[in-house]
Amino acid sequence: MEFPNHHRQIVEDLMAGKFILPTERTFEVLKENEDFYEHFFKASFNFELKFTQDYAYLVSDETNEMLSRDMCIFIALLSYELDRDGKNFLERIQYSEFEIEEIENYFTNSSYIDLILSNKQLKDAESRRNFINTLNRRNIIEKIGDNRFVFTSAHKFFMDFASDIVKFENVKD
Amino acid sequence: MKAEPRTILRFLLEYFDIITDLYDTQSKDGIITFEVLNQITEKHGFDIKIQLLEYKVLSNVNENYEIRTVYYNLIEFILSEFKPMLPETIEKYHISIAELFRKIREQLNGDKVLLNQRIAELSNEIRSFYEMVEKNTISLLNETRELKANVKKVDYREKIIRASRWIDEYIIPLNKILDINHSASIANKLYDVSEFSNKYRLNFDDENTRVQFERLYFQLIQVNDNLLRQSKILTNELLPLIERIRTESIILTGWITYLKNPYKQKAPKILKRKEVTVYSPDTFFNAAEIFEQFKNEEDVYFDEEEVEAEKWIFDKEHYTQKLKENLPVDNFFKWCNKTLKDDYKKVEIEKFFALTSLAFDENLLLEYTAKPEYEKIKINDLTLTVPKIKINNHGIS
Repeated sequence: MEFPNHHRQIVEDLMAGKFILPTERTFEVLKENEDFYEHFFKASFNFELKFTQDYAYLVSDETNEMLSRDMCIFIALLSYELDRDGKNFLERIQYSEFEIEEIENYFTNSSYIDLILSNKQLKDAESRRNFINTLNRRNIIEKIGDNRFVFTSAHKFFMDFASDIVKFENVKD
Repeated sequence: MKAEPRTILRFLLEYFDIITDLYDTQSKDGIITFEVLNQITEKHGFDIKIQLLEYKVLSNVNENYEIRTVYYNLIEFILSEFKPMLPETIEKYHISIAELFRKIREQLNGDKVLLNQRIAELSNEIRSFYEMVEKNTISLLNETRELKANVKKVDYREKIIRASRWIDEYIIPLNKILDINHSASIANKLYDVSEFSNKYRLNFDDENTRVQFERLYFQLIQVNDNLLRQSKILTNELLPLIERIRTESIILTGWITYLKNPYKQKAPKILKRKEVTVYSPDTFFNAAEIFEQFKNEEDVYFDEEEVEAEKWIFDKEHYTQKLKENLPVDNFFKWCNKTLKDDYKKVEIEKFFALTSLAFDENLLLEYTAKPEYEKIKINDLTLTVPKIKINNHGIS
């Protein structure tokens, strides 16, 4: 049986919980073989392949909720602090580079400091640095050297989640 | 007594701060009460109530006041502080323009004076329509930019509501009015008027009417260009800007809601990474090894392993006894060879050497000539040269 090009890379990345991005050559292969990979992951592992124009990733019933929650807290806090600072948070996250120092300033001076201190992955500078590396491994950010990074298009996954909170609340109301 | 126009204009200039305050009050409350009028004039230190009424800037409404429309529009225009108008208000021009145009077409050969008056009216209506569209675009842009900068610290939910309202109630309907491709739009109607006036500005028997049509035609060229520009502002700038405010506000509201209690909220599903990787450097070879054993379809036979001969252990006592029984032995090495041949048929070299070790038994009396005599013994393929040794006795003789 013949597999699409870069099959091994695609499987390795997705199984490692990474987001595959449009900038990667594997994204195009996934796009061309979306049906195959949907079936492949469902039949092989009972995982669901989610494919959008901005990212592709795998979902299973066995989900890493703790990591996902901390990622949401990280992005939520950053969005809130950027907005409070008079910045256009969505544009900054979409298009700008961040310095670790800037992140540190926002987190150490945040009014959500109690929440930050209670979170193992975000409580101090070292934890946050490790957490940023986790985000990098998952392709949610791309590190540029040791002290800078940009968000990838995978950030939209979390922004969509935030929008859904409001929509869901409106439905409840 | 009618006031001098210059006097009125000078009055407006001199007391413009008071007039602006009155304008703000009316814009906000819809009316200027007697008390507010007194407060404003007292604040600025000038009692100009009489002049305001005398110059017809204000008019009485029951016991209150309002700025006359002509002055209100003037100040509004000067300050560029227009309030967005509902498209329904603009839509009324559709009726007036369509009606005038219908009458012009139907009574083209009727009374020329009336025709010219109708063309002039049509031109006025078109001008008013365009001004209203322009005012609306400016006001929407101002409001949007203000909301974007959020100087008034509007709550995120309120931002979503406002942005949604502007999109749904103002911009989209206004865009429909300006959409020339939409047959029911005012822009489309203006296009018909333009075609019509173009035809009759060149081909009409009355010169005055030709000139009127010519003016209308050039006015419409300008208006169409301007409307196109307004439409572009709406679709290219305003709509994305408001859409963005709405999206941002929704996301931020979502995050703030989430941050209230992230530990009780559901998190989005992301894959739990497993330590076992599907591919490892060895997996391929391991899998290949497993599958390769099934690949060969030929029958596989296993030869029965030969039962290994029991390991031979030299029984010294047995052979010492045997030697004793055979004494005297003239040639010890020959005796060894013969004994083994009798026992095993085939003499193996290790057995031979084991047996010859009896010669070192201290109890054996060995005899050999002073000059050694040698002879050859053949053991399988090996020929050994050994001395001739005689054994007469065992033990002390």
